[in-house]
Amino acid sequence: MSNGKKFIALALLTFIVLIAVGVFANHHSGDPEGTKTGNRSDLVAEGVLKSKTVEPNAVGLQALADGLGHLGVGLNFTWLLVTGFLVLFMQVGFAFLVTGLTRAKNAGHMMMMNIAAFAVAFIAYYICGFAFQFGGVAPIIHLGGTGPLSSLFGHGSAGFIGLHGFFLQTGSTYDVGTIAFFLFQVVFMETAGYIIIGAIAERINFRTFLIAEVAMGALIYPIYGMWVWGGGWLAKLGVSAGLGHGAVDFAGSGVVHATGGWAALALAMLLGPRIGKYKKDGTPRAFPGHNQGYVVIGTLILVFGWMGFNPGSTFGAVDLRIAIVAVNTLISACLGFVFAMAWTWSRWGKPDISMSCNGMLAGLVAITAPCAFVAPWAAAMIGTIAGILVCYSVEFIDRRLRIDDPCGAISVHGVCGTWGVLAVGIFADGTYGAGWNGVPGHVTGFLYNWNFGQMGAQIIDVIVGFAWAWGITWIIFSIVKSRRSLRVPAEAEIEGIDMPEFGALCYPDFVLQAETLGADESELETAGSSVGSDREVSQ
Amino acid sequence: MKLVVAVVKPHKFEEVVSALHALGVKGMTLTEVRGHGRQRGHTEHYRGAEYSVEFIPKSRIELLVDDDEASKVVDTIAQAARTEKIGDGKVWVIPIEEALRIRTGERGSDAL
Repeated sequence: MSNGKKFIALALLTFIVLIAVGVFANHHSGDPEGTKTGNRSDLVAEGVLKSKTVEPNAVGLQALADGLGHLGVGLNFTWLLVTGFLVLFMQVGFAFLVTGLTRAKNAGHMMMMNIAAFAVAFIAYYICGFAFQFGGVAPIIHLGGTGPLSSLFGHGSAGFIGLHGFFLQTGSTYDVGTIAFFLFQVVFMETAGYIIIGAIAERINFRTFLIAEVAMGALIYPIYGMWVWGGGWLAKLGVSAGLGHGAVDFAGSGVVHATGGWAALALAMLLGPRIGKYKKDGTPRAFPGHNQGYVVIGTLILVFGWMGFNPGSTFGAVDLRIAIVAVNTLISACLGFVFAMAWTWSRWGKPDISMSCNGMLAGLVAITAPCAFVAPWAAAMIGTIAGILVCYSVEFIDRRLRIDDPCGAISVHGVCGTWGVLAVGIFADGTYGAGWNGVPGHVTGFLYNWNFGQMGAQIIDVIVGFAWAWGITWIIFSIVKSRRSLRVPAEAEIEGIDMPEFGALCYPDFVLQAETLGADESELETAGSSVGSDREVSQ
Repeated sequence: MKLVVAVVKPHKFEEVVSALHALGVKGMTLTEVRGHGRQRGHTEHYRGAEYSVEFIPKSRIELLVDDDEASKVVDTIAQAARTEKIGDGKVWVIPIEEALRIRTGERGSDAL
């Protein structure tokens, strides 16, 4: 049996086993929703109370209730902030990942983009992005209500943009609940901001990059994010159009990852490929990343950070579904890794380190939207499909579309993010999400109720998400491109852009090696002249 | 005097050096180099794109010896570096006109 057949057999066997598990081991005798676990009988068990019935006086009852309320909200604050810090740490992972996947001569540029993205996009989000996205979100009960975020532009069932919280001051948003919420949301926006670096690496000039980060923090991310998470019209499709619970995206497969991926696609198309990436006959040339160790470290840090990204998106530790969210996330990550590893192994004879890591990230990205709504078997299925999908997507984008994406950002985040949003409409099993987006009942995909309403909302969500993120990025940077070059000069790109852009090398002892240029001289001249008009503008 | 130059597999370099020390050789110079012989390189895949590894890492050892020692040194190196697999490398010998020990100013065989 050939490797290809073995791979297909392995994939089919996995599907069959997972479906069987989903069908036959689906009894809800446990507490998957998390509402029954933990009550006053636990205090009896611990010896604090003598019996399950308490008979205090009214004053005592009031004080007890206040204390409990504060305790619960305090727990939720702790959870939200700590998981937010974990998401913040993902930025280290992205920096390692994208720097490892690119060439040593540009490593300083990659690292500088990563840290500059953090600061610049943060400021844009602080000034107006947060207000646009969450200025009119409904009160968040787990955080004791975020009352000040109450100004919605648009009809109540079709909100378009939020208007409270500019500079975290306007509309009385100088408020602990609101600002705790800001911390968690700003690090999510940063994730979308980092994603684009993977696709624009090694050729974008720093000024263009800063414009991209401002646009991401102020406009591209918040507007679509508002439509899905801020009480906007996509979230209300359930109320207004009867489509399930409206667009459901638990932790942002669509809002964060697909947005970042599609913005990256628009930028990569406008930039064009790196010099020498495609031979004269159009076949892609490999530019091996300079540090596979960084790639692995970065991926593992991202997995760790995802333990904040997904479980934190409950906004509260009192929602015990967090345990299932966390484990679903890891299941999907591991299956994504294994299937990307197996796919590259069967196809090219050896498992590819960077593609296997991309597979793990693909699994994480895909499970991000459905992680709270699906059972473990479905998480395994979603990760398996993501791991295979990312391999086909990388090859398709590289060979057929000939769009140069050095780190696979478009495939991992755009394609697998889209798959994750759609997966909610398929696999959501109706054990979680009571009253989600104002629609009674639990979020349920068509596998469990044969009703395609939820899937309809998810499909509209991914189409609108693509149109917005790709479209607005394309428009903004077409205008920028008509006025100045998006790229570094060709000579700088060939020699490495650390010195021309920042005046310092990441590795000062580094000697430029012949094959890292990836092209012979005649091809470099051809490529150089094709970006020649760009070069003149920028000088 | 002769200059003996050997290009060997990096993992054989330590064996070569200890064999030369056992022979009583005083000094040598090591350079990390890359190269290929008749076997050329090999092709690999990175993220689905094929690329060729034309030049393979090698260790290059150079040492100055007296005329009558050269053939013994060459044999020692060849014996220590041999794995009988493709890519074992080469040894060659070049005649040397003059040598000088910088610290003392000694010339010729005294400088070795």
